Amino acid sequence: MYRTVVNRILLTKNTGGGRRCLLRFPDLRTAVSSSRFSTTTEPQTFPNRPLNPADSSTSSSSTSFQTSSAAGDIPRQERKNPRAEYQGEQARVLQASLRHVLRLGWSEEAMIAGAKEVGISPSIVGSFPRKEAALVEVLLGLNKFFMDDCLQRLIDRIDSGEELQDLIPSQCIYKLVRFRLEMQAPYISKWPQALSIQAHPLNVSTSFKQRAMLVDEIWHAAGDEASDLDWYVKRTVLGGIYSTTEIYMLTDSSPEFRDTWLFLDNRVKDAFDLKKTIQEATYLAEAVGAGMGSSLQGFVGKVIQR
Amino acid sequence: MVGKVFSNVASNYDLMNDFMSGGLHRLWKDRLVSKLSPFPGMKHLDVAGGTGDVAFRILESVNSIKRRALQDPLNDDLQEETRIYVCDINPNMLDVGKNRALEKGLGEDKSLVWVQGDAEALSFEDNSMDGYTIAFGIRNVTHIEKVLSEAYRVLKRGGRFLCLELSHVDIPVFKELYDFYSFSVIPRLGEIVAGDRESYQYLVESIRRFPPQEKFASMIADAGFQKVEYENLVGGVVAIHSGLKI
Repeated sequence: MYRTVVNRILLTKNTGGGRRCLLRFPDLRTAVSSSRFSTTTEPQTFPNRPLNPADSSTSSSSTSFQTSSAAGDIPRQERKNPRAEYQGEQARVLQASLRHVLRLGWSEEAMIAGAKEVGISPSIVGSFPRKEAALVEVLLGLNKFFMDDCLQRLIDRIDSGEELQDLIPSQCIYKLVRFRLEMQAPYISKWPQALSIQAHPLNVSTSFKQRAMLVDEIWHAAGDEASDLDWYVKRTVLGGIYSTTEIYMLTDSSPEFRDTWLFLDNRVKDAFDLKKTIQEATYLAEAVGAGMGSSLQGFVGKVIQR
Repeated sequence: MVGKVFSNVASNYDLMNDFMSGGLHRLWKDRLVSKLSPFPGMKHLDVAGGTGDVAFRILESVNSIKRRALQDPLNDDLQEETRIYVCDINPNMLDVGKNRALEKGLGEDKSLVWVQGDAEALSFEDNSMDGYTIAFGIRNVTHIEKVLSEAYRVLKRGGRFLCLELSHVDIPVFKELYDFYSFSVIPRLGEIVAGDRESYQYLVESIRRFPPQEKFASMIADAGFQKVEYENLVGGVVAIHSGLKI
């Protein structure tokens, strides 16, 4: 199951300082970045992080510098409090940058503007993990931050929304997908750029994971109990619905995306109908098979008997 | 001693760099500047950058960004504000740098400012720089901690410290080859090309005396920087250390 216990622990524990989703930021990032020696240790939020062997791999020519967190933990933690952690500052910059995305696109300029707004030197943009000076990596950071943020808000909504349990699955799914897509509505003019960033080969694995988590969350909230092949089918189908609706939204100019929601509703209905249709088709095939099987057996029996 | 070394080598500095590193030093400096990711309107300080290699690269990078973002009227004003200060303790190195700037046609460019000064006691104000680089210079200072704390002082919040330096190699066979190259080939090259064996002998010894990567990273962290990382190039022959001031 994607939505693992560990994830839950990370989510519930990160109610403290700093944005939750950014503290998951290094989680999904793999060993592309050389790693971190930080003067601030966060043993409680990254139970396995500092000792993750992936971080110290030398697949590129970089090597990591690990802190020996055993000794000196306590004095370091005292030193951490008066000083703002750099992750918190990075999160603030990213948050501010989102406000400039509409004007400047998902670009470095947006991040520089965000940094200036927060009152931090734009040099910090250079410290976001990037590989081989690829601009896209930095953009990925901003986009990923946004996607994680949206996922987080969705989870919050699910957790707080009591009325979801009363709805039948198809309506529940409709509501959640709509809620999630509405988060993207303010950025819709620059969303094609965001999609192209997500489709970039460097980012494909990250965006795939994000999508998978999203789809898993929605199904989970809709009360899914399946654990066999059905699990994959359900998520694939929902992934398809989500993607097509997202793309439909890009060219939708109706007020408040009414056409999009209509489209979504139809697709959800189709999917559920399809499920019923497949079930019926299976029964039909079984029945035909049974019928044919017995008549075939009879025929073969007669032939052999002769 | 250091002063004499650099007065002697100043005129042949770039040539010797090319010989000793097989031209690789250009790539290393490119990598340093790309890690910095300069932006228009930046105030940058390049310490011990006498002949201007890093400074020119930063300027080119900023100008190319500007050309890309030509549509944005805001950036034109910012472009005027970019300042790259090249600080070096040795006036001969600065002269070489100024001449190179003239050759590149950057003589009139007011973005480049050549300053003579001591890395351990900078004449710049607190919180005034967006970026600080020191390429192949920190090996030669007397008190590394002072340089680091001066760097911390002049950087703004969010500013980055980047240091490119020759460092320690640990890979078994390569280490022996590198040692042989350093102690036998380089002083000889120095003698032939620059007519100065001692300076290059000093160079090679100073590399060995310099703290290894991890120790240096912890020194940077002690000066107050966060997110201290290092990246080895060519197996450790060169390392780029970076830190963030928050």
